[in-house]
Amino acid sequence: MRPEEISKKTEQLVTINTEDLPPLPYPYENYEETPITPLKEEQKKKWEHSLDGVSALTLPKPETPEEEERLVKAFLSGLGKLMTKENNWTFLQPLMLSMEYCAKCQTCADACPAFEMSGRKDIYRPTFRADVVRKIAKKYLSKGGNILAHFRGHDIDLNWDTVARLAELSYRCTLCRRCASVCPVGVDNGLMNHELRKIFSQEMGIAGPEIHEKGSVKHLKFGSSTGMTTAAVADIIEYLEDDIEEKTGKKIKIPLNKKGAEILLIHNAGEFMAWPENPMAFAILFDAAGIDYTLSTELAGYDAVNYGLWYDDVQFARVALKHLEIARDLGVKKIVIGECGHAHKALSVIADRLLPGAQMIPRESSYTLLNEIVKSGKIKFDPSKNDFPVTLHDPCNVVRLMGIVKPQREVLNAIFPPGRFREMEPHGVENYCCGGGSGFAIMSSGNFPDWKRLVSGRKKLSQILNAFQGEMDPSIRKMVCAPCSNCKGQIRDMLESYEVFEKTGIWYTGMVELMVNAMVDQKKPFLEWPGDEDDDD
Amino acid sequence: MGFLQILTYLSGLVFVIGFAAKLLKYATMPMHVRWELYPIPHEGKEWGGSFYEEIDHWKKTRHIDHMAQYRFMVPEILFIRALHEDNRSLWYWSFPFHMGLYLCIGGLVFLGLGALVQIFGMAPENSALASLLQSLTTVFAVPGYILGTIGVVGLTVKRMTDSGLADVSAGIDFMNLIWLGLLFVTGFIVWLQDPGFLVSRAFFQSLITFGPMTEPMGAIHVVNLLLFIGFWAYFPFTHMTHMVSKYFMWDKVKWDDDPNKGDAGMDSKIKKYLAYPVTWAAAHVGAEGGKKNWADVATSNPWENKDQK
Ligand code: SF4
Ligand code: SF4
Repeated sequence: MRPEEISKKTEQLVTINTEDLPPLPYPYENYEETPITPLKEEQKKKWEHSLDGVSALTLPKPETPEEEERLVKAFLSGLGKLMTKENNWTFLQPLMLSMEYCAKCQTCADACPAFEMSGRKDIYRPTFRADVVRKIAKKYLSKGGNILAHFRGHDIDLNWDTVARLAELSYRCTLCRRCASVCPVGVDNGLMNHELRKIFSQEMGIAGPEIHEKGSVKHLKFGSSTGMTTAAVADIIEYLEDDIEEKTGKKIKIPLNKKGAEILLIHNAGEFMAWPENPMAFAILFDAAGIDYTLSTELAGYDAVNYGLWYDDVQFARVALKHLEIARDLGVKKIVIGECGHAHKALSVIADRLLPGAQMIPRESSYTLLNEIVKSGKIKFDPSKNDFPVTLHDPCNVVRLMGIVKPQREVLNAIFPPGRFREMEPHGVENYCCGGGSGFAIMSSGNFPDWKRLVSGRKKLSQILNAFQGEMDPSIRKMVCAPCSNCKGQIRDMLESYEVFEKTGIWYTGMVELMVNAMVDQKKPFLEWPGDEDDDD
Repeated sequence: MGFLQILTYLSGLVFVIGFAAKLLKYATMPMHVRWELYPIPHEGKEWGGSFYEEIDHWKKTRHIDHMAQYRFMVPEILFIRALHEDNRSLWYWSFPFHMGLYLCIGGLVFLGLGALVQIFGMAPENSALASLLQSLTTVFAVPGYILGTIGVVGLTVKRMTDSGLADVSAGIDFMNLIWLGLLFVTGFIVWLQDPGFLVSRAFFQSLITFGPMTEPMGAIHVVNLLLFIGFWAYFPFTHMTHMVSKYFMWDKVKWDDDPNKGDAGMDSKIKKYLAYPVTWAAAHVGAEGGKKNWADVATSNPWENKDQK
């Protein structure tokens, strides 16, 4: 399909058929997939869905032709602003290079898990949306853009269908940037998608509801995108202390708002709600290693997430500056980021040039610090307590986008018996996204969860299954270590939808949980496998 | 001075101005936020690691491994390593095409040098140096024409027959390929007619000396020359200048991992950018049509203290 076809007047451009999808490995080669749930008639009337029958944005249809026209104009105006230094100094140079230099070789397509796992549907090619944006810019915003437009390859019609489909299409890419890492001329289609989302958000107020209203807005309003308020966080931490005592027999005080502490530790607040054993494990490890740290209960200070990373520079900057301000007020020497991949990338790397250097606080990955704890010998680990096969998921944000590859491997090798840790293929900087990147893990509007299950998460599920081939008997418990809250959410959803634990014995957890499980002075197993509680009864 | 010489000077001028404008355009864009991609060769860690793998990395001296960078760049530029690794079926055609171009450019350089020494009285028949330059011209240019032609034919066929490529190709892409193909083919014919590049060297000589042409130029040679000078002037305005993008995208984006440690240059840029007015229109930005700048919008929290629970 040519990119120009995006403006075609048709009810739905593409349909994902389950029979077109690449098969999953054993024991799922003949698995009967549940197709994408079609939107109901009243939803179809309300929401834009003409790209692929999927609505991630629940984007309302314009009610009048005038409204359509206004929105099309707003899109064009946003695209123009994207190409000015005043409005987009943050990304102008990489964007303009990617706008101009694509050689149309399609090397990026084979690297893209969304394209591959969709059954190679053209609309999901990394170049498809980028080409549409390029063509619109050339035809409508450059001088003489109309001259020989067809011959020059940018004869595209800009209408509301195009804009609406582009909006949905910008939420079919996980921003994993695998495409960019193989491009022979250096074009970054992941970035092009990032920038496209910015037009929708910053100019038109259109974004994934879970990452804007329920995400960065809640973060700035209540203190966390989970809705956890500053008043509630201290209570929750008290519960964690009780749970730690129950699980370890140790009375550990989790330090809060401690001025002058060495480290401000920021978790993804989703952990407090969904995986409290993760912040508990951090508390146990830091206590045992004698680390001088604190958590914060300030607005946004207890939630490392920064959803702006995926769609909006202004929201991004607001949250990042809050994190830095809190650390400054506490007088800590550094910020350590918990097991949250995008928080790593957001605060350590992208936020690095938001303020003059003197106002920056050093930021460090928890992986690095945890590895240092292991190497220091301050905590004794008994690898035989983790005597089960384990594989490692590499969060794109930490690995390909930040270059932290070894520490997590060194930790796993130290806390597992030899031969128990096996890599997924490919891994490290060539890894595949969990399928929940760019906000997908938390996005659940419309019938989008079906698309994530069938398409964006499919590659990771294949990799996980492949890592344990030959050991698929469900009685052999196997673990995926996913040291990122977002990735864990996506992996949990995939394992649950495909009943992977029941069929194969594969489960998932973070890295700190595995570390505490292997601690010599940890009497009871810290890890919980599905069904463990039932066994206790 | 003849018409062809004037056209050649003009096309050279357009090339230089067009290319410089392009370089200037990218070089003067603001420093962007970091958006690097690992592996970064100068980090010197073959597993793709970075200084973030080290505890208290900001306190340590960062070692930049320039050799590792060159080890990456040379095969990348000469052999198009990325395509060889990730898109082999295209590399079979893209490699001869690019190698053909490099060789032809090499041939042109030796032709120019040959013309220069000829001005000083050293001709192939009376000077070992001039004779060497003449041989090198042939050794580079002729395989260049052949490889380039093979590449053009392969790439054209591939672009037409591979549906993934055909769907994204436009008339202009085929025109570019055919233009270069004709350049290679006519160049080869010129060499068949004049194996010592006598006429070409004489033309080059006339360009350098602003003097008259001493050798008559055949029709096919004129066609070859017109194709060349036309392409030369057109080139800076196309995406084929991707060596520009490669330099910037690699050196200034994918490998730009310079930390912000408060150096004066970076600080002054950041301060300047934070003062840029913002005109994004969405309500939550609160830019007020450019009345607010980046510092204003980034430090505002439109939701703070409202509905605080
Ligand atoms: S690999 Fe790069 S140059 Fe090739 S089509 Fe993709 S973005 Fe364009
Ligand atoms: S960033 Fe990832 S998902 Fe998006 S186009 Fe590139 S490879 Fe595909």
